Amino acid sequence: MTGLILKDFLILRKTLRSYLMILVVYAAVAFAGFWQASFVSGFMMMMVSMLPANVFAYDKQANWDTYGLALPVGRTRTVAARYLVVLILTGLAGALTIGLGTAMSLTGRMEESLGQYMVTCAVFVVFSMIINAMMLPLLYKFGSERARMMLFGTMGVIVLLVVVILVPLGGMEWLKSLELAEPTMTQVAAVPAVAVVSGLVLLALSFLLSRHFYGTKDV
Amino acid sequence: MTNCIELKGLVKQYKTFTLGPVDLKVPGGSILGLIGENGAGKTTLIKSMLGIVRPTAGEVSLLGTDPDRAKEDIGIVLDDCFFSEYLRVKDVNSVLCRVYRNWDKVLFQHYLDKFSVAGGKGIRELSRGMRMKLSLAAALAHRPRLLLLDEATAGLDPVVREEILDEFLAFVSDEEHAILISSHITSDLEKAADYIAYLHKGKLLLCDEKDRLLESYGRLVCTKEDLEQVDRGYLVATRKSQYSAEALIRRRGDFKRLYPRLAVEPVTLDELMVFVVKGEKA
Repeated sequence: MTGLILKDFLILRKTLRSYLMILVVYAAVAFAGFWQASFVSGFMMMMVSMLPANVFAYDKQANWDTYGLALPVGRTRTVAARYLVVLILTGLAGALTIGLGTAMSLTGRMEESLGQYMVTCAVFVVFSMIINAMMLPLLYKFGSERARMMLFGTMGVIVLLVVVILVPLGGMEWLKSLELAEPTMTQVAAVPAVAVVSGLVLLALSFLLSRHFYGTKDV
Repeated sequence: MTNCIELKGLVKQYKTFTLGPVDLKVPGGSILGLIGENGAGKTTLIKSMLGIVRPTAGEVSLLGTDPDRAKEDIGIVLDDCFFSEYLRVKDVNSVLCRVYRNWDKVLFQHYLDKFSVAGGKGIRELSRGMRMKLSLAAALAHRPRLLLLDEATAGLDPVVREEILDEFLAFVSDEEHAILISSHITSDLEKAADYIAYLHKGKLLLCDEKDRLLESYGRLVCTKEDLEQVDRGYLVATRKSQYSAEALIRRRGDFKRLYPRLAVEPVTLDELMVFVVKGEKA
């Protein structure tokens, strides 16, 4: 299984290198005071969320699945390896953004409080996990092209519902009030923990679904 | 001698194509050449054996056990190189040494050197032939006991094909080893294979020792009038032109004794395939 995880990271190494450079540039811009750290954090998590779909596309291009199923790894462990890649990528991106926020806070370059930033980061991490929890079963069932379209379609519907339902009901004002509120120490500790556990539970359920789809698939 | 491959009533059903039922045995120390026209089901058969596609019915036993357990001892080359273009040749080593328990890095490097594949190159830089050589090196580097090869020699020049065939012959000198190789290059199979299995439209038409097959069948070239006189029991398939006729005949020795006047030539695997596909059934 570690071989499959390594394969995914080797395929992604160029992309990851360029993401790291983008992060350095964006972090410099944030340090210069043009952007908030949470913007950089959100941007990074969004980019990292799309990486597993890229790996599926690269695998599809090389017809890897056919070869992969002939290896002594088994379908369940093949799916598990992909989910571990997601967790490692999310963890790495989370650690980098926390590091960025801490550095900015310690040097007095952050407008928001570190507590607010941590809560925001936790929301981004769980958002990334939700995207992958939704995306991976679709990728296993329908392949990379159709799954991406489906996910973008679903996101579009969610945005539309927010605009049509939440905005007229005063949802934006409510969200702004949340943003301004300074979280307590308990919230700073609890929100990331609850967010990460919720994300892990969602990914576990998603794994079961993906395993089912891949287990019955003819490649 | 134990069988390295045993298939009993293997069936894979799709909406528009059905493979099988296929019954097949490949004993240790031998090479089975799988022939058939495009779309005959050769790749589907290999995929079904490995569980890459789920067989609809039947039993598969590889190296005396079920395919999932046997995979550690199976080397595979399918009809393409499946390593991403974003990988380098040396990455294949790093990945597969974590997949196969018996992976031998030195042996992998030995095959790369032997096939002149540069380890530092990106896979996107390799030609099709080089990619096939890389796949072969990867298939052999964990010291498998069974090789399943789908068009493994396609795209290779004759010199390299000859080297690889020699490698295969050395591989099956061990009685515990066997190879199943599907190929359109039937001359390779005539050189190396011990058994020939012929798939046509998903059905296994022939499966026999190569020498017996080539000795038993023959190509009759005669006039249409002569062909009319021949006992139908000898005829497998016929082809007629305006002035002459050709026929694939079985039991060549008996036929020659019975019809000494008629010219019967040995048949090649290519001719055998063409007769079955294009000829009229006798």
